[in-house]
Formats: sequence, C-alpha cells, structure tokens
Amino acid sequence: MRRIWLWQNRLLFSIVLLLALPVLIYGLISVSFKNIMVQSLSGVPFDIWVIPGLIFIISSLGLFPLLYRDFFDLRIHRKVLVNVALAPYRKRELIGGYLCVAGIEAFLIGIISLLIISGFTAYSYSLLESFALLLCLVLYLFLLGNLFISMGLLIDTVTTLFLMTALNFIFLIFGNGFIIEFGFFPVNLATFLKWLPLSIPFQIFQLFNQTGLMDWALFAGLTIFGLLWTLANTSILKRKLQH
Amino acid sequence: MEASITLKKVGKLIGDKTILAGLSFGVERGSLVAIVGVNDTGKSSLLKLLSGFENPNYGQVFIHGLDMEKRRCETRQLIGYVPHDNDLDPWLTLEQNIRFTANLYKVGKATASSLIAKYSKALGLSPYLNNYAMNVSNGTQKKTMLIRELVHNPDVLILDEPTGYMDAESIRHTWDLLKELKGDKTIIYVSNSLTEIEQAHDRILVFHDGRILMDGHLDKLLESTLDYHQFQVEFINLTDDLYKKLSNVATVVSPNRLDNIFHFYGRTRTVFFDVIRAASDELMVDLNVKKLGLRDLLDSEFAGKGLD
Repeated sequence: MRRIWLWQNRLLFSIVLLLALPVLIYGLISVSFKNIMVQSLSGVPFDIWVIPGLIFIISSLGLFPLLYRDFFDLRIHRKVLVNVALAPYRKRELIGGYLCVAGIEAFLIGIISLLIISGFTAYSYSLLESFALLLCLVLYLFLLGNLFISMGLLIDTVTTLFLMTALNFIFLIFGNGFIIEFGFFPVNLATFLKWLPLSIPFQIFQLFNQTGLMDWALFAGLTIFGLLWTLANTSILKRKLQH
Repeated sequence: MEASITLKKVGKLIGDKTILAGLSFGVERGSLVAIVGVNDTGKSSLLKLLSGFENPNYGQVFIHGLDMEKRRCETRQLIGYVPHDNDLDPWLTLEQNIRFTANLYKVGKATASSLIAKYSKALGLSPYLNNYAMNVSNGTQKKTMLIRELVHNPDVLILDEPTGYMDAESIRHTWDLLKELKGDKTIIYVSNSLTEIEQAHDRILVFHDGRILMDGHLDKLLESTLDYHQFQVEFINLTDDLYKKLSNVATVVSPNRLDNIFHFYGRTRTVFFDVIRAASDELMVDLNVKKLGLRDLLDSEFAGKGLD
C-alpha cells in the first residue's frame, strides 16, 4: 500500500522515468554496441541477443532505489525502519516483505521495459522463452535484492554506499554477461564471473534459450542460497537495530 | 493495582559505560508516569528499552506480565512509542504515515479513519493531514507521531518529549488528550519541561546516572521540604556587609546573591520577616516568596546536598 501511495504522490514524474529508462538504456547500449559487436558468439544479431540483458539491467536499476530508500536512507536519516521494526512482526517477515514488494515493483518495471523495447526491435522470443526469461529475472531480483539489503544495512555512510553501488553496477552491467558474453573474456576471468551467484540466473536463461533445457538443479540451489542470504540479512538487521 | 510495566534488575551498557544500572520498578496500569533528570542520565535509554527499541544487557522487562524478550510480538502489540526525533516518512502525507502504521498493526480501514478523525480533531491536526511530512513543522510532525501510535490503540504509551517542538496551544491540546487517555492507557514519558511534569503526573521518577534517585508523587517528593519557601529580596545596593548580616540570620537557609538580589530558603514564612527586620534600614526594590517546586528539589538533589 505504501509503495502505491508513493507512486501516487509523484505519479507524473514516476511515469516519465519509467518510460524514459528503457528508451535511454536501449538507445545508449543497444544502438551503439550493435556497431561494435554485430552478432553474438552464437550468431544472433546483437540488438536481438541483448534484449534479455537490457531487461535485467533495467530491473536492477529499478530495484536499487527502493531498497536504498528503505534500508539506508530511512534507517540512517529518518529512523523510519526502526519504527517499522517495532511493529509486531518477525525480522525475517520484515526483510521478506520489503524484498517481495521491491522485487514485484522491479519485475513490473522489467515487463514494461520489455514491452517498450519490443517496439523498437524485432523481438523474437517465444512465449515459453519469455516465461523462462521472467522466471530467471525473478530469481535474479531475489538475489540482487538481498545484496542491496546487505549493503543498505551494513554501510552507514552515503559516500561508501554510493561508491559500492557504482562498483556493483559496473560489475552488473559489464561482468554479468548481460551485454558482453563471457566468451569475450579471458578464460580464467570468464570462469570466475560465470560462478558468481548474480550471473547464474542469466546463464540459466541463456542455456534454456539455446538448448531448451532448464537447469532446475542450479535454479533450486540458487533459490536456497537466496533464502539463506535473506536469513543472514535478518540477522544483520537485528544486530543493526540492537533488537 | 495491577502492574503494567515491570523492570527486574535491568541494565544497559554502551561500550564500557553503564547507562542503566540494575533498575527495578513497576508502573501501575492506567497511571501517568513522568521521568525527569539531567541530560545523558539514561532517561531516553530507559524508554528505548521499554518500547523494545533496544534490548537490555541484563535483566528483564515485563509488559502486562509478558517478558518483552520472549513474547516480543505480543508485547509490541501493546506498546505505542513516540521517539524524541521525527521518524515519519517524508514522502508520504501525514495521513498516509498514520495509515501505514495502522496497516502494520492490522487496524481496519474504518476504525483507522474514525481514530484519525478523532485524534486529529483533538490535536488540531486535521488541516494538515494531506500535507507531506517534510513540508510541515516539527511540532505538527510530533503530533502526527502521537496519533500514529494511538491509531493502533496500545495499552502502554511511551513518549519521549511528547510536546517537543510544539507551540503553547498544541502543548495544551496534547496534554488535554493525554490526561483524557490516562486511566485507559499507561503513559510513561520523559520531558525536560518541569512545569509540564508538575502539572501532569501520578508519579515522578527522578533519574541520575542510570539510577532512580527519587520516586513518587511531587507532594511526596517535596514532603521533606514541604514547609520550605524560597525568598528573594532585591535591594538598591546589597553591600557585602549587608549580605553577611542577612546570611547570619539564624533562620536563613542556603543564602546566596546575584548582584543586588538576596536569595534564601526558610522553613517558615516568618523567616522572611526576620530578614526584613534585619534589613529595615536599607532600601528595597522588590520582594518575592515562592513555595518550593520540582526545580528546587532537583537543583538541591543534583548539587549533592539537600536543603537541611
């Protein structure tokens, strides 16, 4: 309800941003990069191949401010989080609730972006592939949300948080296989990047896209990892609030 | 009467520093309890412990007989806590801030609406309900914070400076409301306004260095000094000889001076006439007699000496 009020309170500005974000990302990344990397390593035209990666990037950008606001700004500057934490809920319910609401909002931003970007280019994914894409996006947002919550809770100064966030986004955009395939990296670095939890959901989708096989074991493993991370965040929240 | 809040040997440390030292006391249901003391003496820390905002390092806090640490969710339902600093979401309106808390505590929409209307009217907040929290004064935000906690109808209200930042009219409205709620709810508050405390309390806890120095109704606290009065005589010229002469009047207690003002305490009003007699040849400008209040009591206690 609170998120709906916040959208209502700055509706026009939010809609403009929501529409501008995919257009800007598509314009600045896809249009320019397709002249450098004409096609993917598997021979798909770059501007088609990069669409799922752009959706992941846009959703990441949509997720960050929501969790930054609740776990950093409103914890450090206004103590709103502390007041919310006094409500009769368990900490894991609070973390889960915030994560869920922010995840849904970022997911919706992802879907709207997908629709907008499809208007610019020949979107060629089937319904099943689109479903797999959105499923992997949910898993990715679950993990990324946990990362943002950990950062928001563990870091207490704005400068450090912003530097960490900048580093994260550089890493997410360029080191996650969203725009640049791992095949373009040296083997050792590519192996390292491939095994990072945040890059795996996108690889699961790419595998499904290329072979039609869904790696459910990896998917389940990452889901469990995400749940453990949520529990760890619960513990961090307790320590931070001294509850 | 039944205890609403009970503390058993509760202690709080910050680093090596003891903020609260083995506190044990109980608060009766429906009573209005004021906590007073100098800065950094542990008053706000005590409220944080009572509200569940922080946990004690040792000891137990019970709310309506429930251990706060073991029955966390149940006890939190019973408590409304208004902290000293503003903690409203700046990008929500005042009403949205209140409704957000109502949602958190699963208060029905209709109930929330009627409570918001009732308390907003009582505190004169109605015209501001649709304003963003960031656009209203600190006093208005404080009133919103109070309504936000009242909207989930807690049995225990814990207030850190309940009238902080408020103007005179808002202070009056707030106390009218709190006095109306007293009896139905247990109210425990910290304030630096001794006038407010003198006018609104069933019991005063005087805090010093994390311990309770005095505990009771103001009349009880002033019992030992009940006969004492504070006197002030302003002369045209209070010479050293005259000050010495007046200070030596046998019935004068704790004399001191400020420029030409001679200030002293006395157990009976007749002391005043003893001084007037002793200074009958001098020109006087002003006279003042006052019964002792909370400030005098605290001043004498914190100075480490009673009046006797």
